[in-house]
Amino acid sequence: MDLSSRFDRIEELIVRDERCAFTLASLVIVCTIFANLSEVQSPVIGAITFFFYFSINGVFLGHAFFEKETAFFRRTFGFLLLIMLLSFVGWLAVVIYNLDVIRLTLVLLMVATLSSLLNRRVKSKNAT
Amino acid sequence: MPHDTQGFIKLLRVSEMLYALLLGFSCYLLFISRTGEAHTIWEALHPAFIPTLFVATSLLLAIQFTSEKVAYKLLFIIAHSVLVHSFFSVIFPAGDLSGQQIYLGRIRLVYDNAVLHGWPSWSVETVQSQIFRRFGGINFQAAVSVIFARMLSVDIFWVHLALVPILWGIFTPIAAYLTTYTLSQNEKVSVLSSLFLSVFPYVTYFGAISVPNSLGYIFFFYSLYFILRNLNSNDSETKFLMLVFSFFALLSHYLTGVISFSLLFLSLVFKSYRGEKSQAISAKVSLVIAFLFCASLLPLSLIYLRFFRPSTTTAFTLERFNELPIEETIGLALLGDLTYSFHLETILLFVSGPTLAFAYNIYLLYKTKKNPNAKFRTYTPFLFAAFLMMLIDYRILKLFMEGLPFNEERLWVFRDFVAVPFVALAVYGAISSINVFLKTHYPPTISPADLKALSRRNALHVLTLLLALTVLIPMALGGWITYSLRAAYPRIAPLQTTWYELEAVKHIEENTEEKYVVIGDVWTIFVGEMIVGINNPSAYYFGEYNKTGYDLFYNMTQDPSPQWMLQAMNYTDTTTAYFIVTEPRLGTEEYNRIVTEARTRLPVYGVFGEGKLHIFYYKK
Repeated sequence: MDLSSRFDRIEELIVRDERCAFTLASLVIVCTIFANLSEVQSPVIGAITFFFYFSINGVFLGHAFFEKETAFFRRTFGFLLLIMLLSFVGWLAVVIYNLDVIRLTLVLLMVATLSSLLNRRVKSKNAT
Repeated sequence: MPHDTQGFIKLLRVSEMLYALLLGFSCYLLFISRTGEAHTIWEALHPAFIPTLFVATSLLLAIQFTSEKVAYKLLFIIAHSVLVHSFFSVIFPAGDLSGQQIYLGRIRLVYDNAVLHGWPSWSVETVQSQIFRRFGGINFQAAVSVIFARMLSVDIFWVHLALVPILWGIFTPIAAYLTTYTLSQNEKVSVLSSLFLSVFPYVTYFGAISVPNSLGYIFFFYSLYFILRNLNSNDSETKFLMLVFSFFALLSHYLTGVISFSLLFLSLVFKSYRGEKSQAISAKVSLVIAFLFCASLLPLSLIYLRFFRPSTTTAFTLERFNELPIEETIGLALLGDLTYSFHLETILLFVSGPTLAFAYNIYLLYKTKKNPNAKFRTYTPFLFAAFLMMLIDYRILKLFMEGLPFNEERLWVFRDFVAVPFVALAVYGAISSINVFLKTHYPPTISPADLKALSRRNALHVLTLLLALTVLIPMALGGWITYSLRAAYPRIAPLQTTWYELEAVKHIEENTEEKYVVIGDVWTIFVGEMIVGINNPSAYYFGEYNKTGYDLFYNMTQDPSPQWMLQAMNYTDTTTAYFIVTEPRLGTEEYNRIVTEARTRLPVYGVFGEGKLHIFYYKK
């Protein structure tokens, strides 16, 4: 199996999100980010959680909006949309009050939930 | 698999590995060029860097003409793009000495939760001013940087420096690819266009500095792609994404927002014009009126900015025509700021890409007029109008307006984004012509035996064309891309933030328990802002435009005594004051005089940079 088909397989697994496994994983990652920011403050943990958070939610959003695009562009657009969504909700938090650790965690939770819901919406639309 | 295909794939893999090695080596050379004291990147750049980058770029171009997968080609281009946009961030210890440091000073306050409700930290008078401030790009960029910094658990300083070079390096080549693909439906032309972004010096420069305007350009480029897609589609998702990207362009910076919405409106007019069956004179007149309206949106929005920002002084004027000699006015109209103090070589590097694009755009317009079924017909007139709009807007802003809140040259980035597909099309067209000539005049595969059969003159002809196709063209284009970096990165600049200025400011911050104020020159203030934020009440640096701060520093240089430090402490409600002087900023003679005088009246807090920087202090 070559590299691109492995990526395709992982992407398929994430999009299928059976028993909300990846949604839950994404929420656990957010809790890890919160714990890391509050206690450990390790850039290594930060980089790992960042990678997984972006991989899961980027794929969700890519599937939700760019299902018909080829894999490369779907993933790229997914990541770009995730950055945009995070920035938009983060910007709202900044102008409403501030973006401290607790509010950042809320922003990440909101975006993760929204991405998962959008993915599910497209999935159920395809199923019917 | 046929034997020759296998051989080709092997050769391709070897080329790709060689490219990866060369790019890795370029990264290494860039990292060892990192310096703590330089004016421009050119002073510090390793002598082998540019030749290595040139060879890597030429190889990358050669790979673009092969049948490799588009995704791999784009990944190679992205790696190249991130590298060419990272010069400032890698070479200088605190990035380019420009607006990005000022923005970091403000974003740091959001990161440290020192301000509530975003920037500015003070209350603004009217509701519309408040809306404008909250929608200001700085709050949007603050959100992006703070989220990344917190997620990665690193200081905002590092995220801010790398933010735009990385996002730009990744996302603009893809936007260029998609835009060109929409126009040409040709993968090879499209990947070429994502590499040709680097021939536009303004594009490279704005991709290398972390300011809200640069973020806005990225969103603008994607909005342009969806606007183009919408011209030929009635898909509601495309419409939604077109609006979303335009909105984000507006959220990042009002300049990118206004241009995005102007083009969006123009595209809707174009679409409805195309939908009309008769395309009568009245429809054409409406199209021209709509174009003029879209072109006037930017100048008018700048005038009416005063509704949101009372301090705006932008106005229409004819002063330039009265003040400037006629030849300078003509120079400004033709070349803009390039008229002043630039070499011919720099001017050529700046104008070659756009001129080629404009000429090819006109050629395509002419061609499509003769052939109504041509594939470019839908998009070429719209992109021509967009290009023309930038040219007109630039001239209006440059010659007929004053008190602009930004430099007019920023408009060139929009023009370059519109131009890049046409540059790729022109280059690809030229290469295809040579290819077609070879195929029609000679057999598809030429062996040495075939060459022997040809006359000497014809054999030479064939060899020259083959050499041009496989070696000279990639080298020439690679040279163009690499050489454009000379114009993209400034060759004259003030001394960048030095390592000892950074060390000094960090040392004060780490070793002072009580509230303090620092009196220093504007360069020290930039550093202070980056490390502790602007106007931080517990670590106070006067803003870069603060007259009191400037006066205090001037008085300290004339008379380095505790009275000014006491005044600064009273003014800022702090208990310790520091005074920083730096030799390269003041000149050796002045620096020595101040240090000698200060030593007699104030205790020395620290000496950095082998004596190039002195810190004096005084406590209440």
